[in-house]
Parts: sequence; C-alpha cells; structure tokens
Amino acid sequence: MSDPAPLVSLSTPSSSPLVTQVKTSRRLFSTIEGVFNEEVFFLILCVFIGIFSGLAVVCFRLAIDWTHLALLGPLPQTHSWRLFAVPSLAGLVVAILVLHVFPGIRGSGVNQTKSALYIFNGFIPFRTAVGKFICAGLAIGSGQSLGPEDPSLQIGASIASALGRQLEISREKLRLMAPVGAAAGLAAAFNAPISAVLFVIEEVIGRWSAGILGSVVLSAVSSVVIVRSFLGSEPLFRIPVTVFKGPSELLAYAALGIVGGLASVAFAKSVGYLRPRLKALPRWTQYFQPALAGLLVGLIAFLGFPQVMGAGYGSMDEAMHGQYAWKVLALLAVFKIIATTVSFVSGTPGGMFAPALFIGAMLGGAVGDIERILFPQLTGSTGTYVLVGMGVLFAGFLRVPMTSVFMVLEVSGNYEIIVPVIVANTFSYLVSRSLQTIPIFDMLTRQDGLILPSLEEDREETILRVEDAMLPVPATILSAQDYVDANLRRVQDSTESAFLVRMHPSGWNIITREKLQRLYQEGKGELTLASVLPAQSLPSLYPDLPLDSALRYVNDYSLIPVVNRADSRRLEGIVSRDSVFKKYGSRGAIEVPSSI
Amino acid sequence: MSWKVPKLVPRSAPMILLVLTLAAATGFAAVSHLVSRYTANQQARGRKLYAQGLTEIQASRYDGAIAAFRAALTCDSTNSQYQLSLARALRDSNDPQRLDEAESYLVALWQRSPQDAAVNLALARVAAHRGNIEDATRYYHNAMYGVWTSDPDANRDRARIELIQFLLWKNARAQADSELIALAAALPPDPNAHLQAAQLFAQVQDYSGALAQFEEVLRLDPSNSAALAGAGQTAYRSGNYTVAQRYLRMAVNANPVDANSRQLLASTDFVLRANPFHSHISDAERNRRITAAFAQAEERLTQCAQQLGVDLKATDNPPSSALPGLQARWLLTQPDLKLLRSPAETDLPDAIMDVVFQIEQQTAATCGPPQSLDLALLLISKKREAASQ
Repeated sequence: MSDPAPLVSLSTPSSSPLVTQVKTSRRLFSTIEGVFNEEVFFLILCVFIGIFSGLAVVCFRLAIDWTHLALLGPLPQTHSWRLFAVPSLAGLVVAILVLHVFPGIRGSGVNQTKSALYIFNGFIPFRTAVGKFICAGLAIGSGQSLGPEDPSLQIGASIASALGRQLEISREKLRLMAPVGAAAGLAAAFNAPISAVLFVIEEVIGRWSAGILGSVVLSAVSSVVIVRSFLGSEPLFRIPVTVFKGPSELLAYAALGIVGGLASVAFAKSVGYLRPRLKALPRWTQYFQPALAGLLVGLIAFLGFPQVMGAGYGSMDEAMHGQYAWKVLALLAVFKIIATTVSFVSGTPGGMFAPALFIGAMLGGAVGDIERILFPQLTGSTGTYVLVGMGVLFAGFLRVPMTSVFMVLEVSGNYEIIVPVIVANTFSYLVSRSLQTIPIFDMLTRQDGLILPSLEEDREETILRVEDAMLPVPATILSAQDYVDANLRRVQDSTESAFLVRMHPSGWNIITREKLQRLYQEGKGELTLASVLPAQSLPSLYPDLPLDSALRYVNDYSLIPVVNRADSRRLEGIVSRDSVFKKYGSRGAIEVPSSI
Repeated sequence: MSWKVPKLVPRSAPMILLVLTLAAATGFAAVSHLVSRYTANQQARGRKLYAQGLTEIQASRYDGAIAAFRAALTCDSTNSQYQLSLARALRDSNDPQRLDEAESYLVALWQRSPQDAAVNLALARVAAHRGNIEDATRYYHNAMYGVWTSDPDANRDRARIELIQFLLWKNARAQADSELIALAAALPPDPNAHLQAAQLFAQVQDYSGALAQFEEVLRLDPSNSAALAGAGQTAYRSGNYTVAQRYLRMAVNANPVDANSRQLLASTDFVLRANPFHSHISDAERNRRITAAFAQAEERLTQCAQQLGVDLKATDNPPSSALPGLQARWLLTQPDLKLLRSPAETDLPDAIMDVVFQIEQQTAATCGPPQSLDLALLLISKKREAASQ
C-alpha cells in the first residue's frame, strides 16, 4: 500500500517524483489493460471527482449557512453591534489561520488552480481544500463581502489533484485534474453546469480543447447531480416575470452595458491598486488586515446596508422583485464594490463571483429604474434589468463573455432575455477591455509574479496559416503515370531541383532532378514514375491550417503540396522550409508550438 | 508544516473503482446524515419563526410578520407554507411595491403545484389587487376547481363570491352575472347562501335572478325579514310593483322599523294607485288617473319653476330652460282632457301621459328627485319606456 514516491512540493516542483509517477502509472495501467484504457479510466475518475467535489461543496454551503446563523442570526438587523464585531473577530481568526496553518489560500482560488495546470503539473495541496473550507466558510459566514463560488472551485480542484496523485495517473492527466475538479466545484456552487464548464475553459484552461471537454462536462454534471440531491434543484433566485418591450429597449440595455463596463473597470482598478500595496506592508499588519476589512464591511452594514455582507443572494432576490428604490440600489452597488475590494485585498479567502453578480444586479436595477423614470415607454420590469445586470459585471469584471451569458440564462432559467443579455454584456466587455487592458485574473497572477496564458490573449493573437507562407503552384508538375524518360525531358528546361509528382489515383510525391537522371542512367527510362517511387505519399496541407502544422514536415520534405479541401488532386500552392521560416521570421521571432 | 496524505489506494483498476465507489457511498451517507441533522435543526428554528410571524399577522403587524416569515424562510427556504404566508403578508401589507415579490413567491409555488387551490386563490387576490380582470378570473377559477385541503364546497363558493365581488368592483357586470348564475346553480339549501347570492344578483342589476334567490330563501325560511325586504326592493327596482307591494307589505309587517321598505311600499302604493295603464281598471278610473296625473304634473312644473326662479309666463326666459316649453305643451294639451271619454280617441291617453312623463322627467333632472305621486309618475314613465324598448 505504501509508495515511496514523495508528493511534489508546490514551492519546488521537481522532476524526479514525476518520473517515478510516470513509471508507476505505466505499471498500473499495464495491469488493467484490456479492461480499461487510461482514457476510459480517466473519464470514470472524472465522475468520482464530481461526486466528491459535490459532497464537499454541500458541506461547504452548510458550513457557511451555519456560521452565518450562529454568528449573525437569520436576518441581521441594522445598528446591531454584531454587524461589525463578528466580521472583525472572524477576520482576526482567519488571518492567524492563513498565516500559520494554511498558507497559500489567500484570494479566490481561480489563479491558484490555473497555476496548478500550467506551472505545478496539476499539483494543489490537499491542505488547500481543508484551509479554504474552514477559512472561507468562516469569512463568508461572518459577513465578509466575498462569495463561496471561487473557493468551491479551488476545493474541487484540490480534491481532484489529491485523488490524481493518490492514483498516480500520468502527468498529462494529472495536469487536467485541477480544471476537472474546478469545474465540478464551481458547477456545484452555482448549480449551473454549463457556466462552470465554460468558465473553466475561458479562464482556467485558457483555450478551447475538445480533448478535455468531455471530462470537464462529466465532472460538472455529476457534481450538480449530487448537490441537487441534497439541496434541491431550486434556482438561486425566484425569477420574476421578465418583460422585454421590443428592439428599442436594447438601447437601454446598451446603456446598462456601458455603466456596467465602467463599474467593472473601477472595481478591477481598485483591487489592482490596493492588493500589491497591502501585500507589501510589514507581515505583522497581515494579522489585522482581514479584521479591518471586516470592521469596514460591518460599519457599512451597521449604517444601514447589511445587504453587503456575505454573498448577498437574498438581497439580489429582493432587488429582482423591486424591493429597493434606485438610489438604494446604486448605493448598494457602490458599497459592495468598496466592501468586496477591502475584503479581497486584505487576503481573506473568498471569491468574487457572487460580489460581481451582486454589484451587477444592483447596478442593473438602478439603471433600469432611472431609465424607466426618464423614458417610461422604453423600459420593462426591474427584475429583467437586475438579471441582465448580473451578467454585465461578469462580462466586464471577470472578462468571461461567454460564461456571463450562460450564467444569466442558467441562473434565471429564462431564455427570453438572451438578446438583452448579449447586448449588455458585449458593451460591458468592450468598455472594460478598452479601459482596462489586462483582465482581473491575469492582473492578479502578474502581481504574484506569474504569467499564465489566457483565452483573451489567444483571441487577440493573429494566427499564421499555411496560406500565409504558401508559394505559387510550380510550373512543372510531373505525373506518376508518365515514363521516367518523358518526365526527365519535361524538367530539362526547369531551374528547380525538386519536383512534385501527382500520383494516381490520388496523393502526391516528390522527386529530385538527380534521382530522375540516376533512374534514367540505370536503364529505367521505360518505367513509369509510379513503379519506381515509394508507395507512401507525401503529406499534404490545406491552406487554412495553422502554419504550425507545416513545421512537422519541413525538415523531412523540401516541398509540401498545399491542396484544395474539396479536391486533393487540385494543387493550391506549395510550402517549403524556407517559406515557412521566412514567414515566422517576418513576425519578429520563430514561435515554437507546444506540439513540437 | 507538511501535510502528506498517506497512499491508501490499491493498484488495480477494479479495486480502485471499488474503493472509490465505497468512498463515495460513505461520503454520501455521511453528508446525508449531516444534511438531515442540519435540516432538522433549521426546520425547528423555522417553525419557531413562523409561529412568531403568525402572531404578528393576527395583530395586523405586517412588517413584523414579513420579517419573521423571511427569517423562517432562511431556515427552510423550500417550505411552501412559509412562502405562502410570506406572500400573503406581502400582499396584504398595502404596499404596492411588495406585490411583485408576493407574486414571485406564489408563482414559484404555483409552478410546483398548479392545482393547489390556496395558492391559486392567493395569486387571484394579487391579480385583484392589481385590478387585472383576466389573471384574477383565471386564478379564481383555478382555485374553484383546485384541490382544497378542507371544506372544498364552501371554499369554492367563497372563492366564486370573491371573484364576483371583484368583478363588481371592476364594473364587469356581465362577467359577474355569469359567475352568479353558476354560483346559484350549485348553492346548498342554506338561506344565508341564497341571501348572499340574491344580494349579489341585485348588485349586478339582474333583478329576476335576485328575486328568484330571495324567493328561494323565503321557501327555506318564510319569515326571513331580510329576504322579504330584498324581494320587495328587487321587485320594486324591476318595475314589478304588484309583487313588490306584496313583499314589502310582508317585510314591514315582519320588521316594522324597516324604514326603507316602508318608504318603498308607500311609493309602490302610489304607483299602483296612479298608473293609468294598469290592465285591470275601468275606463272611468283610467281617465280619473290621467286627469289627476295631468294636474299633478302642472303643480310639479310650477313648483320647480319657482324653485329655479323661472317665470313660466315671461317671454325673456333663458333659451336653456325647458320649463316654459313644457308649460306651453301642457297648456296646449289641457283641452284634450275633455276628449278622454270619446271612444274614437284611442291614442289620447298616451299623448296626455307623454306630456306628464316629460314634465316629471325634466323636473326630476332640474329640480331634484320627486316625492309621493310625482315619484310614482316618474317610475311609471320609466317602466313605460323600458316596456316600449
């Protein structure tokens, strides 16, 4: 049962344990060969990850609820001393735990999961799950303005990573365990599997990969099934009747998108400005930063806005049903930005998903109400604006445009608002991108000294394609059905040294002038080229393929045919080693793709 | 501090899956236990808060009730009873802004059990608060045909009566009348139920329906003074003065302090005594009544002119005043009274009474409601108009 392979340290990732892991992995899978291959086994494992993550998230949610009820009561009343005493004292306890027992659990957990995928070979210490559970549960339950979703994501990722290490699966699969677990944790927290999958792809993995989509979906769905079996399938909110008055109302949603984009920038910039400065303060101050953040949040609550405490789903629900006037909604949005910023930058473990939804919901309600006052014929119900507003902050602040749309649809279960959501989110995303170049999660990783890939970078990057390096169709193309001497006569006037040969009935080959001459001298002039050339065809490319795919062949073949996708005998052009490298060189540097 | 998880997992795939399955089952059982304990704890807390909310409701302290019900729901968020009570408190708090929230709770409950009569009734009341006839009617009907946990027949009738009252409030008399007809058809043999139905019929001005219901009450309880008075009043309003006289007389006898019935009885007596078109009177009596009515009309015209300060003989009266014209018509018709006895003048009674009716209607419009014989003549004119239409 015992295994000598040591766990990989987060701080000093070493290659030797991984080598051991690869060896033991081979041993393991050799024994199960014929029953399960690694792919099938991994997919089954994903279901178990979903189950374990779901169970953990159920407990996490109970822990938060229990803490909240025990410390603050079912409905905190304003002007109660508990409002600032509880989060302050809890902040002190959390700070001690973070500094002495669970280092590395500060913040939301999204970046740590991403780092695990790209830097630490899928390694997330199990201690992280335990620490995140305790500290985030205490912080959120005591009223710190943070959400439970990002910690759930990290708890799921941590469980998956621990399981993968226990089972000593291959390094390649172990890397994927973190996002698989992350999707399970997030799906369980939001009760929204599609959004969780999209978020993990958009933000954690950072690129679309069909290879892991199945495993991420499996884990997300199984975790949601577990959560629903315990906590029911009730949506997070009681969705009001949504009213969309018509195309002209899209102008109002565009305005909401712009306001949401500006709020996102303000929120992101305040987090980005304060976080490194607070982190740079002497270590002893870190004992008091979460407590001071709790005190500030508590004071906001004490002065009449207890809604800013915790995740705030209840208040979002009330806003959705027109319980607040627009001035209150606007103030709640502003105070929530302040409360969440101080809670987050103080190093308190907790997430920003729920606060982003909260701020967006309040802004949406405020903007909708103001628009209704100014243009009563233009705007529909407040509930619709609150719902759309949730997605606006998700798109602008977290910069996950696809997730933001599906999040609103899944949370609301209402597909009638898809057009307003897309319009508002697009505006919010564009405003945020133009005023804040670096997305919030990238900014946080860079502040931590890490540079991780992101889907937004990929979107902005121009991809070189085969057609960019393609040379014109050569003047001389030989036929495999012609005799060697006839082909030799055809190339005599050409200055090229190598020629493409069109094979019959399909395929391409290559032959040099020297080889043709040698065949002729060997008395094979009466033979067809097909009979003297190797049976294996030359690889061919299509014009729209990434140029990276040509790199695999340019060292082995001097010419590679680029053919039409509809007719492989129709030559569109050729690429050569020189043309490919020249194209890469013209961009400043040769990019070596990961597949090489 | 270093945390190392010991390697506990076996090395063969079937065993791994077995261990994982066992671990998942154990975890599931443990979390089930935890959740059930937590849920039980929360439900107990919720019940306490719910009881507190009910106390607040009984004292009509809606804000306190709403806070208590909300707190109860934080403990047991899916409890239908708490949601329904919160929705009712929100609806009854007379804050229009809370109607949306009340409705959203109720819609969620309705989606879970659309046949629940209590939820449908609560939704109907929200729609009624908003004045939305279509939604209110739909939900009231759902409540009537839905599932009641106790006393379904009485609850259904109550729901229909509530719908009728709402429709009357919205002045949708035709819809209210059709609901009343359906209600009356299914009423139990209970005098109070029929009495209520009769009063509602009277409100929608379906006097024949109302009279039928009052008579049903009297069949069940012949001495019911409210039904006697109601039947008399209904018959009076429908112009059936003979029947009205009978019931009103019985009502006054049964309840001598019923001033309204007494007054109506007096008017009815006047009508029956003054009506020249009554079928069972002689020609002489008819002519006498016409002559008396004609004289009464002139007197009423003169009194009204005095009240308004109009000189009927002057020529410079304002053009808007119709009284001098009526006086002229009265004077023009006066010689015709002598011709009443002539059997050839068959249209003359109608022509003379037309002048009387015009004078009574015009003076009622300009000088206020008439009394005694003038009132009787006005009622006769209205009945005559209704019959001709």
